[in-house]
This record gives sequence, structure tokens and C-alpha cells, in this order.
Amino acid sequence: MAAHFFTLSIITLSLFVVASSGELESELVADLLTLQSESKSGVIHLDDRTVSKFLTYPRIPRPYSFLIFFDAANFHDKPELRLRELRREFEIVASSFITNHNSSNTKLFFGDIEFRESQSSFQLFGVNSLPHVRLVGPTAKSLKDDSDVMDQGDFSRLAESMAEFVESRTKLTVGPIHRPPVLSKMQLGLITALLLLCLPLVAKRIFAGETLIHDPKIWLSGAVFVYFFSVSGAMHNIIRKMPMFLVDRNDPNKLVFFYQGSGMQLGAEGFAVGFLYTVVGLLLAVVTHVLVYVKDATAKRLAMLFTLLVSFWAVKKVILLDNWKTGYGIHGFWPSSWN
Amino acid sequence: MSNSYTSDILKPFKLKTKQQELLIRVSILCLVYILAFITRLFSVLRYESMIHEFDPYFNYRTTLYLTQHGFYDFWNWFDYESWYPLGRIVGGTLYPGLMVTAALIYRLLHFLRFAVHIREVCVLTAPFFASNTTLVAYFFGKEIWDSGAGLVAAILIAVCPGYISRSVAGSYDNEGVAIFALLFTFYLFVKAVNTGSLAWGLASAFGYFYMVSAWGGYVFIINLIPLYVLVLLITGRYSMRLYVAYNCLYILGMLLAMQIRFVGFQHVQSGEHMAAMGVFFLMQVFYFLDWVKHMLSDTKLFQEFLRITVTCAVAVGGIALGVGMASGYISPWTGRFYSLLDPTYAKDHIPIIASVSEHQPTAWSSFMFDFHILLFLFPAGLYFCFKRLSDATIFIVMYGLTSMYFAGVMVRLILVATPAVCLISAIAVSATVKNLTVLLRSKTKVAQIGSTKGTSSAKASSKASLDQSQPFQKNGAMALLFGAFYLLSRYATHCTWVTSEAYSSPSIVLAARGAHGNRVIFDDYREAYFWLRQNTPLDAKVMSWWDYGYQITAMGNRTVIVDNNTWNNTHIATVGRAMSSYEDEAYEIIRSLDVDYVLVVFGGVTGYSSDDINKFLWMVRIGGGVFPVIKEPDYLVNGEYRVDKGAAPKMLNCLMYKLSYYRFGEMMTEYGKPPGYDRARGVEIGNKDIKLEHLEEAFTTSNWIVRIYKVKPPNNRW
Repeated sequence: MAAHFFTLSIITLSLFVVASSGELESELVADLLTLQSESKSGVIHLDDRTVSKFLTYPRIPRPYSFLIFFDAANFHDKPELRLRELRREFEIVASSFITNHNSSNTKLFFGDIEFRESQSSFQLFGVNSLPHVRLVGPTAKSLKDDSDVMDQGDFSRLAESMAEFVESRTKLTVGPIHRPPVLSKMQLGLITALLLLCLPLVAKRIFAGETLIHDPKIWLSGAVFVYFFSVSGAMHNIIRKMPMFLVDRNDPNKLVFFYQGSGMQLGAEGFAVGFLYTVVGLLLAVVTHVLVYVKDATAKRLAMLFTLLVSFWAVKKVILLDNWKTGYGIHGFWPSSWN
Repeated sequence: MSNSYTSDILKPFKLKTKQQELLIRVSILCLVYILAFITRLFSVLRYESMIHEFDPYFNYRTTLYLTQHGFYDFWNWFDYESWYPLGRIVGGTLYPGLMVTAALIYRLLHFLRFAVHIREVCVLTAPFFASNTTLVAYFFGKEIWDSGAGLVAAILIAVCPGYISRSVAGSYDNEGVAIFALLFTFYLFVKAVNTGSLAWGLASAFGYFYMVSAWGGYVFIINLIPLYVLVLLITGRYSMRLYVAYNCLYILGMLLAMQIRFVGFQHVQSGEHMAAMGVFFLMQVFYFLDWVKHMLSDTKLFQEFLRITVTCAVAVGGIALGVGMASGYISPWTGRFYSLLDPTYAKDHIPIIASVSEHQPTAWSSFMFDFHILLFLFPAGLYFCFKRLSDATIFIVMYGLTSMYFAGVMVRLILVATPAVCLISAIAVSATVKNLTVLLRSKTKVAQIGSTKGTSSAKASSKASLDQSQPFQKNGAMALLFGAFYLLSRYATHCTWVTSEAYSSPSIVLAARGAHGNRVIFDDYREAYFWLRQNTPLDAKVMSWWDYGYQITAMGNRTVIVDNNTWNNTHIATVGRAMSSYEDEAYEIIRSLDVDYVLVVFGGVTGYSSDDINKFLWMVRIGGGVFPVIKEPDYLVNGEYRVDKGAAPKMLNCLMYKLSYYRFGEMMTEYGKPPGYDRARGVEIGNKDIKLEHLEEAFTTSNWIVRIYKVKPPNNRW
């Protein structure tokens, strides 16, 4: 009888525990959902307290997975870590996931932890380098050893590859990534609409022949700008996302403005050289077309001297730079007896 | 007495000033013509008369076919030796202009009883057309400025590295002919606009036809010319001349271009050509408006009419375009075209375009390398053009700027920009030198005015230089002149050096400096291809990365799986997948493609850096683009590409790694380094004990650059 009672009590006890833990879990999920809806991007901000509440304390298996972005505000200005960019992409993944599931999926939550305010959580996860993204699965016992770390390679294609990582580990579908409409498409549409609206007006003025576009000076400056833009390799900088300058690896206080090796360039380098090109060309034009109208002889002389010196210096500088950059020693092919 | 005798003899030869000028001009042109040709012979001098690089081998092979089998066989040729097992319809997928041109030259030479080999004709086609381009540049320069500018333009373009890079002897590629055709079409069009003559318009349409038949770059023409016309329209420079020239070019050029099978109906169907059509209709609206204006005397009425017409025309055009796009009748822009307008597009979406080295964006040093001082002169030239605006100068400015922009996006498009840069710089040089020499030669006010009959700018400067600072003006002019000539001589030196050292390499024969400064030649490619030709069955199928496809079919005469005509991305991705899989997985793919031999290019022994290991990530990317089982991160360690001990395990065991480094671990490459030291990447390899299971080494060239493996037949089944 006593034995019966004992088993019964155990059964009821365990039933009670199951019920209460089920309640607790649904409470946790509800809490998480409110936190998620409070955050703009759907990324829940975690600190030491909430980490223990949602991750350490609940029973395993937890009813949800957690994808955590480890952030450090004081490293945001280090361009090589790309924390800001990655964080933005992380938020895109989060918001895409949430909108794709109509905020009703409780299997996966997105969170971030800031280093300054929750150092012990960083220790708990064993995170000692950034950028770091970690997926805590429902069955992970130890946050440090049982959770999946996202590799460098999974950052490489930003939000898309992060989503792939999530899909491969959690068997959940993230769905299409909704990027905030970037400038190009939206603005292009606006601009074309505006253009279409203005067209009759513009056409009217064109027929009257009294617009800015009849002023060659505007066209000239536009032309010189296009030239400057092209030869300075600005396109290269945009496509390759080159920084303006690098920090010297050996000496962090020194900045590197010029990159040795052809086919690559830094931003500032291109602009400097493009500027030199443009200056020389325009000086030449000024000397032959504007300077001749100057009445004062001394001014003329000085201007001429200035032009000659500047042009000489600029050409020399560019050629030297080019030889240094490409490593070519350009020389003439003179008869060997001349040497 | 003897003096007077000779002068008597020479008397009939004594020339008037004008004749002297003509003589000098013609002889300069002749010299430039010859110079343009011989400077491109550096490659023959330094190596030998051979076809260069990759694409030219295909062109050579088709030209050979054309001369052997005739035009109709060539036109209907189904090539079963490439893209096995798909094959390629050659006649419908190439621009035949180059081959037909070379075949015609070949026929002509044989008709004149010069028994040359077709290869020599092919090798020298590009230099020949480069020489012709100098002539066109002269006439073009003459049309937009004056004959002086024309001469300078001819000289500049004759040696400009940007053009030489694609037109040295042996670089038998479409561009060699196409730049001539491009400039010729532009010249004829500008001439037509300037004269309003139907004959020039007709000629430009035929020029355009030749361009379409020669190179896909014709899209640039068919977009630039409408843009130019549009600019003329909105700046109020509409004229009957423009109307005649554009309509003639558009209608006739379009009809002619449709005769090229590869282009077909694209002129009316593809989005890239719609700008031209839109401008064509706009032109008709303008003409109609002009006519109505002529008929209506009331200006107010006309304004109202104008408003309604323009709105209606734009609306109708917009709707037509929308309907065409939506119904699929007008195809959207192709990736290549789109990547020009939005340059970041290719990098993200089309790895096969982004992988080609000549599609990389241009750094300033490449501009400097290809244009040298022309870059300094270009803004000055722009300024001169704006000072003397005419229909012709507007054209050259637009050509210059658009092509400059495109050159910034892709390295190879520097080629298209070169003629414009040369012409605009020539204007700068010519106008400056002319002004300066006028200053130097003028003694008095009277003489000065007498001697200036040239440009308006020269007049302006001579008018202004009447003040008392004459002597200084002369010194200044001297200094400037001296500077200009110094710069030009530097340009000549630069161009010669670049041609000789950088642009004459056939890239199929490699040259390097030995330890003692002597020249070492690596002729491994041809060694391997001739081995294939002589030691493999006629119907053997060779798998390699697509770069070498054309060379294998042309020189090895064997069937390839993929080649440089990258028309089927899936097929290329299959090869990429095979190369990046483990050997047993790769073997299945290889068997399914009936491959008999696998060819890899390896630079670890020689330090040749553009080998397959360095291209390998692109194989992974392209393969992964179609087959998601291939993932780039599997081949990287912390985002870094390595082949040494720290390399990713998948990398160390994939087919490409195994084939490249098979038995390399036993080899000493450099003194003081461990065996298996890869000289191209400067590391000791990570997997020295490579066992091959389904493939066996068949042939490795003397410097290990090309390695060929035979695919073993499957094991017997028990």
C-alpha cells in the first residue's frame, strides 16, 4: 500500500512538474515574443540577467533556439571587424525571419549581447574574439561547448549566408531576405517618375532655348568631373569597396595611403592622382585660353612660371608613383653603344 | 654653274607652299602607317610568329575551317569537338567579321601569287588593321578639328598602349578589327552629320554593319549614337543633316545587322537596342513638329500643340516599352550590359563574368600604363572642344566621356576609350603647339594676322598677344613647346617599352628571367597540346577548366568539355564541381561526361601564378552557383585561401589539389626549401602523400606547367 502511495505520489509529482515546466516555458516564450515585438528589428537585447533567465535556467530541451550576435560598442569604429555592417545584416536576417513567419514562430529567437554590460555572459559562452555569432540549440547543455559557432565563411555573403547557416542547423526555413529597399530601385523609380512629369515642361524650355543645359560651362564641368571620376579609379573603389587608406600593419600610428602593386589601389591614392591629372590638363587649357587675355605682364609671367613648375612637378610625381607602384622600370631602347 | 644647272633640273620639282605641306603630311602619314605596323611586330621578334592567348585560337581554328571548306560550310558548321556532349553551332554563335576578313586577305594574297600560310595572315591581321586605324584617326581628327590634329591623333593612336594591348601581331581577336570598324563608323557618321549627305550616311551604315559582324561591342555604337542625337536634340542643335544621318544609319544599319545570325532580331527585340529605336521615333516627332511649326503661323497655338504632342509621344513610347517588356517580346538587359551600368552587379550575381581578369575594375595605375601623358592632355582637350563647340566636337566629347566611364568599370574597355582619348589629346597637343608656334613665328602685328588662318583659338591668342610682353611671351612659348616635345618623347619611350616588355607576350609561351639574368622560355603548353595530338585517340575527350578549351581544340585537335565560349553556365559548373569534389565523387561526374583525359595547369615548379590552383576559387564559386553542395567556405580557413598544412581538409583532398600536386611532395623546387615547396604561392604544400585511385598520370610537361591524367576504366564487376 505504502509502495502504491509512493508510486502514485511520484506520478502526480512528476505530472505536476511537467505541467509547471510547460507553463514556465510558455511564459518564457511569451516574454520573448513581447521582447521581440518591442525591439525594432526583432533582435532581443540580452544581458547577464536575461541570459540566465532564457538560456541557463530553463530545462533542456528548451522550446526554442537562440541565435546570438556578440557585439561590442567600443569596437564599432574598427573597420576591419565590420561589426556595424554585420550587425545590420544580422538584424535583416532577424526581421526577415519574423516577417516571413508572421511573428508567430517561437522556435527561433534572435538576440544580441553587448560586451561592456554583460562580460560574464561573454565568459559563459567563451567568446574572446569578434565578430562572433552563436546558435544555441534547444538541447545545448553547456552554452560554451554545445552551441554552434558561425564561421567566417558564413559571414561572407552577409545576410544570405547567415540565413543558410540558420537553415542548415535548425531545420527552420528563414525564407526570402527582405532588405530595406536600398536607394537604387526606389530612387530610380522616383527619379523616372519625376523626369516623366517634368518632361513637357523641360521640352518647352528647350524649344525656347533658355535653360542651363545650353550653357557650355556646366557641360564642361560635368565632363571634367566624369573624367576625374574615371581616371581616379573611383569605380574601382566602389566596386571593391576599397577604404580611403589603410593602417600600417607594423606601425598602427602610421597610415598607408599608397598601395604597392598594380591592379589595386586605395581610395585616397586614386583621388590624389586623378587630381594631379586634372590640374595639369586644366592649367594647360588656362594658359592657352585665359592667360592671354590678362593685361598685366608681371601677373602673366608669374602665372606662366607657376603653371610650368606645377605641371612639371605633377607629371614627374605621377610618373614616379606609377613606376613605384607597378615596379616597372621604363626605359628607352637606345643603341647599346650609347651607354 | 653646276649650281644653276641643278636648280634648272629641279625647277619642275619645286613645290608651292601648299604642295609642300601636302607632301609633308602624306609622308608623315605613311611613316605613321608603317610605325603602327612595325611596333606591333615586337611579339614576333621576341617570340615567334604565333597566335596568342586563348580566344585567338578559336578564331584561328574557324578561319582555317573557312579557308578549307568555304563560306557556306563555315556558316553551317556544327562543331562537335567542343562542349561535348552538347556541341556548338559555330556559325550562329560567332561574329564572323574577323574570319571573313582574314580569309579575304588570304584569298587576295593567293590571287596575287603570294603563297603565304593562313597562320601568317591571321598573325598580321591585327597590326594591319591598326595601321588602317591610324588613317581613320587622321581623317577623323581632320573632321573634328583640323588636319594638324588629325596627324597628331594618327601618331598618338599608332603607339598608344591601350590599343596595342589588343592588336599586337598574333593577337588575332575580334577587337583588332573591331576598333578600326568602330572608329570608322564614328568617322563616317560624324561626316554624315557634318555634311548631311546621304552617301556618307549610307557609308556609315555599312561601317556599322562591319562592326556588328566583327564584335559584340557594337552595342556601344548603337547606344552612344542615339545618346549623342538626344543630346543634340535637347541642346537645340536639331538639323536636317542630323535627321538624314541618323535615320540612314539606323534603318539601314539595323537591316544589315540582322543578316548576322548571332545578332538576328536583337535590334528590335532586346532591351539594349531600345534606346536607338526610341530616339528614332523621337526624331520623327521632331521632324513632324518642325513641319507643323512651318505650317502654323500662330506661336501660341504651336506651343499648345507642342505640349500635347510631346506628352502623347512620351506616353505612347513608355506604354509600348512596358507592354513589350511585360509580354516578353523585348528581352531585358543582359548581365554584361547591366554590369556596365551598375558595376557592382556582376560581382554579386554573375561569377563567370566577374572571374575574368579583364573584367576587373580599373585602378589608376592601369590608366597611367595604357594612356601615359594622354591623361594629362585629356582635360585640356576637353576644354578646347568646349571652346569650339560644334556637332563634331560634341560627338567626340561624348564618346570620350562615356568610354572613359566604361573603361573605369572594366579594364578591357580601355581599348574602346583609346581612340577617343587619342583624338581629344591630339586636339590639345595640336591646338597648343599651333598657338605657340604662331606666337614664335610672328614678327610684327601684320605678319601675325597674315599667318593666322587656322583656328579661332589661334586668332584669339594672337589678338591678345599684341601687348608689350611679346619677348616674354616668346620665351614662355619656347619653354612650353620644349615641355610639350619632352612629354611627347617620354610618351614614345613609354609606349615602346610597354609594347616590347608587357604587351608582346603570347601567354602561351612564357618567358622568365633566369638566375643569371638570362631569358628562360617555358614552352610547356604547346608541348602538352602536341602530346595530346600525337598520343591520344582521335576521339578522346579532354576535361580542363574552360580557359584552355580553345587551345586544346585548336592545337591538340581533341574534343573538350567546356571552352572559352562560356555559353552554358551549367556545363561549366559541372566541370567546376568535378574539380572541387573528392576523387570518387568527381569520378562519377567524369564518367558521366565520357572524359578520357583531365588536364590541369600547375605553376608550383616554375612560379607561374595564373595556374589552376589560383583560379580554383572561381571554379568553386561557379560550381557552387549551380550545385549548392559545393560551398566556398569549405575550401577556406578563416576566410583565407591556403594550400599548406593549415588548409581546409576539403581543399587538401579535392580533385584539383590532387591532380596539381600529385607527386609534387617528392620534388625539390628551390634550394634551402623543403621538398614540395610551391613557388607560385611560396608555401610548402600540405598534402604530400597523394594517392590517385581512378586517374593515373599520363603526361607532365618538362616544367610541370601542364599535367595530363588519364581516366581509368571502371573496375571489373564481380
